[in-house]
Amino acid sequence: MTTQMQELFRPSAERRRILIVEDEPVNRRILTRCLEGSYAVIPAAAGGEALEIVRDQIETISLMLLDLHLPDMHGLEILQRLKADPRYARLPVIVMTADSQAEVECLNLGAIDFIPKPYPRQEVILARIRRTVELSEDRDILRWTERDQLTGLYNKDFFYRYAVMLDDYHKDLATDALVLDVNRFHTLNDRFGKAYGDKVLQRIAEKALELVRSSGGIVCRSEADKFFIYCPHRTDYADILEKVSVSAEEDGSGNRIRLRMGVYAEADKSLDIERRFDRAKMASDAVRGSAANAFGLYDRSMSEAELLAEQLIEDFPAALREGQFRVYYQPKFDIRGDVPALYSAEALARWAHPRMGMVSPGVFIPLFERNGLIQALDYHIWSETAAQIRRWKEAQGLRLPVSVNVSRIDLLDPLLKDKLCALVADNGLDYADMILEVTESAYTEEAAQITETVKELRSLGFRIEMDDFGTGYSSLNTLSTLPIDALKLDMQFIRSAFAGRRDTRLLQAIIRLAEAVEVACIAEGVETKEQAEALKAMGCDVIQGYYFSPPLPAAEFTRFLSEEKRKPEGARER
Amino acid sequence: MLTLDDLRQFGANIQEGLDRCMSDEGFYLELVGMTLEDASFDRLSQAVAADDRKAAFEAAHALKGIVANVSLTPLYAQVSEMTELLRGGQEADYGAYLARILEMRADLLARQNG
Repeated sequence: MTTQMQELFRPSAERRRILIVEDEPVNRRILTRCLEGSYAVIPAAAGGEALEIVRDQIETISLMLLDLHLPDMHGLEILQRLKADPRYARLPVIVMTADSQAEVECLNLGAIDFIPKPYPRQEVILARIRRTVELSEDRDILRWTERDQLTGLYNKDFFYRYAVMLDDYHKDLATDALVLDVNRFHTLNDRFGKAYGDKVLQRIAEKALELVRSSGGIVCRSEADKFFIYCPHRTDYADILEKVSVSAEEDGSGNRIRLRMGVYAEADKSLDIERRFDRAKMASDAVRGSAANAFGLYDRSMSEAELLAEQLIEDFPAALREGQFRVYYQPKFDIRGDVPALYSAEALARWAHPRMGMVSPGVFIPLFERNGLIQALDYHIWSETAAQIRRWKEAQGLRLPVSVNVSRIDLLDPLLKDKLCALVADNGLDYADMILEVTESAYTEEAAQITETVKELRSLGFRIEMDDFGTGYSSLNTLSTLPIDALKLDMQFIRSAFAGRRDTRLLQAIIRLAEAVEVACIAEGVETKEQAEALKAMGCDVIQGYYFSPPLPAAEFTRFLSEEKRKPEGARER
Repeated sequence: MLTLDDLRQFGANIQEGLDRCMSDEGFYLELVGMTLEDASFDRLSQAVAADDRKAAFEAAHALKGIVANVSLTPLYAQVSEMTELLRGGQEADYGAYLARILEMRADLLARQNG
């Protein structure tokens, strides 16, 4: 492209085009002469001709100068026709008239300005035209950028600006920040197609707009399936949720669309508007997964949890680098025989944080699972564990399989097999030395791919334990076909079975289920002799828990192992 | 050729007319020339002859606008008066108005062609 072309090919360099609708040659001549230095002039001597030009060239016409007395139709009729047609309504029209009565009528009909006749000085005409063109271009840009194209609602940036503006006008008014989310929107899109998902969003947008129009406030679509509402404080949140819900009947498909809403009520106006909506989002996330339409109210503890989470994410890289993550080992005992026999151990991550002390895995594991950092942590634990198994083997001639946790995201990593095999090979281990614990919930989505990966690992010789069994949604039908060697009952089962009014029926059923599909059954979180004996009686094969030992650091666990080894057979009874 | 002097003698508000033309004398004179040739004169003549008040009003109104733009003040006064009478639907000697208007036009045309 030539330099000259580059100069020209710029919005600001294009000569704006002005349509002059005027039948009197003298007037046309005056206006043309006045404008031609700055603009490209398109003349039209009659109304019909003018409308035809508008129809053909609307994209490139910046302004219409309209005389009211035309041979074929009155200028007001042209004005009306333009403003009634959404394709042309944006075209700014300046009316030229000697009649001051007509001026008011023209402005009411949508004329943006008028130029009196006889014409004022040329500078005045030019200045009015320049200003009108600029204003209307700005208005067009604003219209394009302030709205979300799908729903016609404000986009987030403009919504925030207007919210701040409303705050400026109503300093003492209590306000609420509301966030609306569609539960599992992506599955709607996946199952029924994007067009359907879009329709649902448009419908919700309409209803939300009706709501704020009738009761005050502003609304925007902030991202894919999220809507923000900023409104005067109210308390009828269930009602709001009801009003914006798209019901199954209305939608016609019989699909159930569930909304959830987060409310940050009587928002603290000293916080940035973005922070206020972050809080509403937290409240919404807290009711994620509710079966029915649900709303959650923000409370302070949510921010604290969020701040802690941010801190932990920030500290993660250094923690990994500096070895703050330690591996603890907890033994599993086979209780089938008369005397419990050491069966294997589980490697568990512990975080010794330099300022916070020991951080609970119950806090950091779910957090890292959500944001993917778990992958790096898992690998760290695997390699520490593999090295430890090797040390026990070499220094003490001990051969104890140790299980490690494999997260769902690891199973989607194409390099997983290579990584695990390398650890086994580098440490001179057998595949049977490492057991892989995969949570039941890992199998729920992309089930086929996950199952295939696990199958492949198992065929290499890794043993597979299904962790947290009973918390996911495994189909009993597929359980027998999954590539697993053991079911690990979720700790919660043991707790609830032995808590309060003891009810072990469910526990018993699951142990029988494990028997039926011919895999070992492992109970975690066993704390008392009573629990251990009851589980044994029910047919549970392996037990892990404080009853035998808490998770121990490697050195202590090594001592534990030596003691176990020294114990004469009969002495191990607990 | 019509000159500014001719127009001044005629009674035109030359300053105002020139202002509207960014002081471009040639352009101003060109516009005056165009005004004198404007079809509105003929339309007005025909309408008055046919006693078509509505058409006469339209033509007079258009002529008024054009004449105003070039500030031919005496001509403007006549056209303006006639327009207002026609607008109000009043009885008047429109033939006399037309005669005076055409006379002024002829005067200016004579100077232009003289």
